[in-house]
Amino acid sequence: MSILELENVTKAFDGVLAVDKLSLGFDEAKITALIGPNGAGKTTIFNLICGLIRPDSGAISYRTKNITGLAPWHVAQQGIGRLFQDVRLFERLTVNDNILAAFKNQTGENAFLSVVVPWKVVREERSFLERALQLLEFVGLADKANDLAENLSYGQQKLLSIARLLALDADVLLIDEPTAGVNPTMVASLLEFIRRLAKEGKTIVVIEHNMNVVVEIADWVCFMNQGQVESFGLPNEVLGDPEVRAAYIGL
Amino acid sequence: MNYLLHILTMINIYVILVLSLNLLVGYVGLLSLSHAAFYGIGAYISTLLIMKLGLGFLPALLLAVVGTVLLSYTISLPSLRLRGDYFVLASLGFQIIVFTILYNWIDLTRGPYGIPGIPRPIFFGIEINSIGSYFLFSGVIAAICTGLLYLIGNSPFGRVLKAIREDEIAAAALGKNIVRLKINAFAIAAGFAAAPGALFAGYLRYIDPTSFTVMESVFILSIIIIGGAGNISGPIVGTVLMIFLPEVLRFIGLPDAVAANMRQIIYGLLIILIMRYRPQGLSGEYRFE
Repeated sequence: MSILELENVTKAFDGVLAVDKLSLGFDEAKITALIGPNGAGKTTIFNLICGLIRPDSGAISYRTKNITGLAPWHVAQQGIGRLFQDVRLFERLTVNDNILAAFKNQTGENAFLSVVVPWKVVREERSFLERALQLLEFVGLADKANDLAENLSYGQQKLLSIARLLALDADVLLIDEPTAGVNPTMVASLLEFIRRLAKEGKTIVVIEHNMNVVVEIADWVCFMNQGQVESFGLPNEVLGDPEVRAAYIGL
Repeated sequence: MNYLLHILTMINIYVILVLSLNLLVGYVGLLSLSHAAFYGIGAYISTLLIMKLGLGFLPALLLAVVGTVLLSYTISLPSLRLRGDYFVLASLGFQIIVFTILYNWIDLTRGPYGIPGIPRPIFFGIEINSIGSYFLFSGVIAAICTGLLYLIGNSPFGRVLKAIREDEIAAAALGKNIVRLKINAFAIAAGFAAAPGALFAGYLRYIDPTSFTVMESVFILSIIIIGGAGNISGPIVGTVLMIFLPEVLRFIGLPDAVAANMRQIIYGLLIILIMRYRPQGLSGEYRFE
């Protein structure tokens, strides 16, 4: 059952079609991998779903609600989270503050209330801090809680961006190249971790270039080329397709 | 002694002004050149309410804050969707418009003639009539404003503003309504700029538009750049230094004609040196890039 659906979505940049009448659905609590050569339109799809760009035509719906053209913050509040390829941390904030900023429904984000009912904000903050620490322990960054995010190694930044995404507590996670730039020992635990999220009911869409990773974690694979879905199915089916192998993997 | 109390009173007034601008510069990362406009709007609204409607100082101050907040939306609603440099230019435009209105709406503001004879604040029958008592009075208001701005800056609201400063797209992807948060920050900064406007008018008992020019906006901004942004201590250090500095220069014994020019040169040099060697300012948290 698709929880997130694109229907006949088209997007062109300066006349060049990045996404071409594409229809695609993502199953709840499953991991769908988007694969395809550079320029196939994978990241554009993420940007379309997140509301960073608007489709020229077509519709995007989430839990049968039309979310086409909603502002990015609004899409995120519906329960769709995004892990950026280039991490996009709040670099000059501490590791802890990166997580804390991500929690939803914070009374203290209203400046007026933060002055009028400071005790309520403090109480809330205490429970957010606890959850932040849990998330940091989860990704192994608890001892870095007070470091500035910009001082972490790239691998650690990636982990922090994942922890931050989890703080949002979204139901759908759009993950752009989770393993790029992460050292091999960490990749295994990262994948384990993504699988676990799917088991807990998160719907995961992942853009991934490493075919071993795709085979290992994906429930569904979607092969894209030139803005269209060329092939969609089980990992072995899609990756076994001679056309896909020829066009993409070069085998 | 009166001389020192005068300087300290000016520091009280400027501390509020600079700390309120800090909410935009140091937290949201917006360079705004319209702060003297809000300072001026606050001064004029409170003065007109006191002189034309006979309001007391405190109600006039509070209404000036409310009025300035409302006026802030006329610039923030259209321009806070603009990014970076474009916002700086929009704020400059607003500053120029406000000055022009203050200067030319003679029926209301008396324009270049200014408004003299502003009555001294009176509290519970006690007139704030000495420089010492005005220092205390402005000090209490400055302390309250500093406390509130400290609370706001260290609240989750302050944190999410900093997140926006660092990466708007990432903050939006976490469900933060960037435009609304920025508009709120702008309104708060404008409201807190109105309070020192009222204090300034009540202190000098005379206002005219030349106190609220673009140069004043630049001066307020340069205090932040020199002192530092993104926390409470940077703006306070900057204010104390920049208000005391010209007085110190006066004591060096330069002739008055030279001293004024020297002051500008020293301000300029200070900014260049800080940008080069200490981009976070003397005591700030946020590094300008």
